[in-house]
Amino acid sequence: MSTKHISIDPITRLEGHGKIDIFLNDAGEVENCYFMIPELRGFEKFCVGRPVEEMPRITTRLCGVCPEAHHMASAKACDAVYHVEPPSAGRKLRELLYNVFFAGDHALHFYALGGPDFVLGPEASPTERNILGVVAKVGVEIGMKFIQHRAHQSAIMELLGGKKIHQVTSLPGGVSKGLTEEERKGVESRVLEMVEFAKFTIKLFEDVVLKNKAYVDLILSDTYSLKVYSMGLVDEKNRVNFYDGKVRVVDCNGKEFIKYSPNEYLENVAEHVEPWSYLKFPFLKKIGWKGFVEGNESSIYRATPLSRLNAADGMATPLAQAEYERMYKTLGGKPVHATLATHWARIIELLYAAERSLELVRDPEITSPNIRIIPKEKPTEGVGIVEAPRGTLTHHYVTDERGILQKVNLIVGTTNNNAPIAMSVKKAAMGLIKKGIQVTDGVLNKIEMAFRAYDPCFGCATHTLPGQMPLVVTIRNKNGDILQEIRR
Amino acid sequence: MSKRKNNILILGLGNDILGNDAVGLLAARELKKEFGNNIDVTEAALSGFELIDLLEGYEKVLLLDAVVTKQHSPGTVLELTKEHYKKVVAVSPHYMGLPEVFQFAEKFGINLPKEIRILVMEIEPPLDLKEGLDTCLQESFLKFVDKGKNILQNWNI
Repeated sequence: MSTKHISIDPITRLEGHGKIDIFLNDAGEVENCYFMIPELRGFEKFCVGRPVEEMPRITTRLCGVCPEAHHMASAKACDAVYHVEPPSAGRKLRELLYNVFFAGDHALHFYALGGPDFVLGPEASPTERNILGVVAKVGVEIGMKFIQHRAHQSAIMELLGGKKIHQVTSLPGGVSKGLTEEERKGVESRVLEMVEFAKFTIKLFEDVVLKNKAYVDLILSDTYSLKVYSMGLVDEKNRVNFYDGKVRVVDCNGKEFIKYSPNEYLENVAEHVEPWSYLKFPFLKKIGWKGFVEGNESSIYRATPLSRLNAADGMATPLAQAEYERMYKTLGGKPVHATLATHWARIIELLYAAERSLELVRDPEITSPNIRIIPKEKPTEGVGIVEAPRGTLTHHYVTDERGILQKVNLIVGTTNNNAPIAMSVKKAAMGLIKKGIQVTDGVLNKIEMAFRAYDPCFGCATHTLPGQMPLVVTIRNKNGDILQEIRR
Repeated sequence: MSKRKNNILILGLGNDILGNDAVGLLAARELKKEFGNNIDVTEAALSGFELIDLLEGYEKVLLLDAVVTKQHSPGTVLELTKEHYKKVVAVSPHYMGLPEVFQFAEKFGINLPKEIRILVMEIEPPLDLKEGLDTCLQESFLKFVDKGKNILQNWNI
């Protein structure tokens, strides 16, 4: 049987980030689908031979989207390398910085990336389907609230992180900069507004999405469902935590499968290689690679906002917990496998991040000057794990006795989700592209929605002046002749 | 918004562990040596909304970056305008470009520079992590810096 070829190829400033290839058979149905991300080579090699304490600064260069997550995972790995535990105030300052970052990042995704699909509709013109379109439809005041939220985030990050971009304050053993009482008051007033914005966002989601039956049906449709394991970092009470805890994995029925400490990650996660992808496919080692299949027999897991909620028993703050309960009640119980529900989970996490920030900035210990313990142990090896907005982020360093790096291994958020993204895109393509159906821009956008829910982050996309990711969609026959091409 | 020390900004974009991608950062550092007392110089590996934070409050900005168009040989220095980026749509806020940034800022009354000059150098797509430019681009780099210098001198700095 011959195949036709549809390619969704983002052409970016730094060429070749993500690419989706969909192959059709003679019947006009999807035969196969590949999601590919070119991976920059040599980061581990680049780091070997450098002092390990430089890593929290260097790794922020690895990603232009969430450098804060690398900064934090790296600092925690350095703590482990030097066998030092930051003092309580230092730990809380890191967690405060990190939750403020999360609150800003999740809001950006909801308002500018995921939200437009619902506010404007998945069939809307791509020239409207952006934050400007959202503002045009729901009002300028919402845009102003969003700008203010980001301004609060930016100001707090600069204060706590030492720099607005590429923070530098987290060091082995704690942080280099404390918080005065006057500064604390300023942060508190900003965080209070961030909590209000998070509550407003939950209400907006309810009004725009949950009150629209068509959208709820879309979220729950089989086209956007994927039953795999769920991963997330949890605290001692199995509640969601972005900064610290153990990694918990639950199966497709919500039953705990494993729970491990950061230094046990190699016993629990392995990486599979496919000849058609630059990026590896992490899987649960205790099950072994079983291929791109769903269900408990599969070893594939997701590490997303939704999977974090699935993997936890609840949220550690009251408003987020209430919304957590409402989500599972609305969507038919726990766990939820509806990929598009990730958007809901993300704004629940936004609410948690804002509430948790408020708790931390009101903690009497947050202004303590005891913020760092100078490492004195001989450095050896360490693993640091945090939840990045896009999934569980693992940094693993091995040094010699001088602290010079001998080995570096990273598993980043989007890498965790490589297999689920590929499977979600394929499932969406199979559900949406049928014989006789014109592959319109709207159809392609609905396929993109399957991977956009993951908020994939491509490590090499550090900055883009033009900013565009125009999509070139080419449909070819078996001879490679172009039958249809869509550019936008 | 942070108070601006000066009215003019040199903004170097790029990633300093991505080889030739750092050309904008390196040029900004060179220009800082000569003009740093009178203007602000910022380096960033960012795009999208974060650019608003960096650009807000300045009257004039010289933006330096690397590009991969495949329409010019590596080392070619180009001056671009906002028109070059029209009719493109970012599928992610992380990749939001200058046109959308300006549209967004205009919509919400954010004070972005009235004049922005964009100098870029064509490079090969960076595939490996390393520091520093390829030797073959050194001559072009000097031209890149000179063009930036001319713009700043025309601004009477």
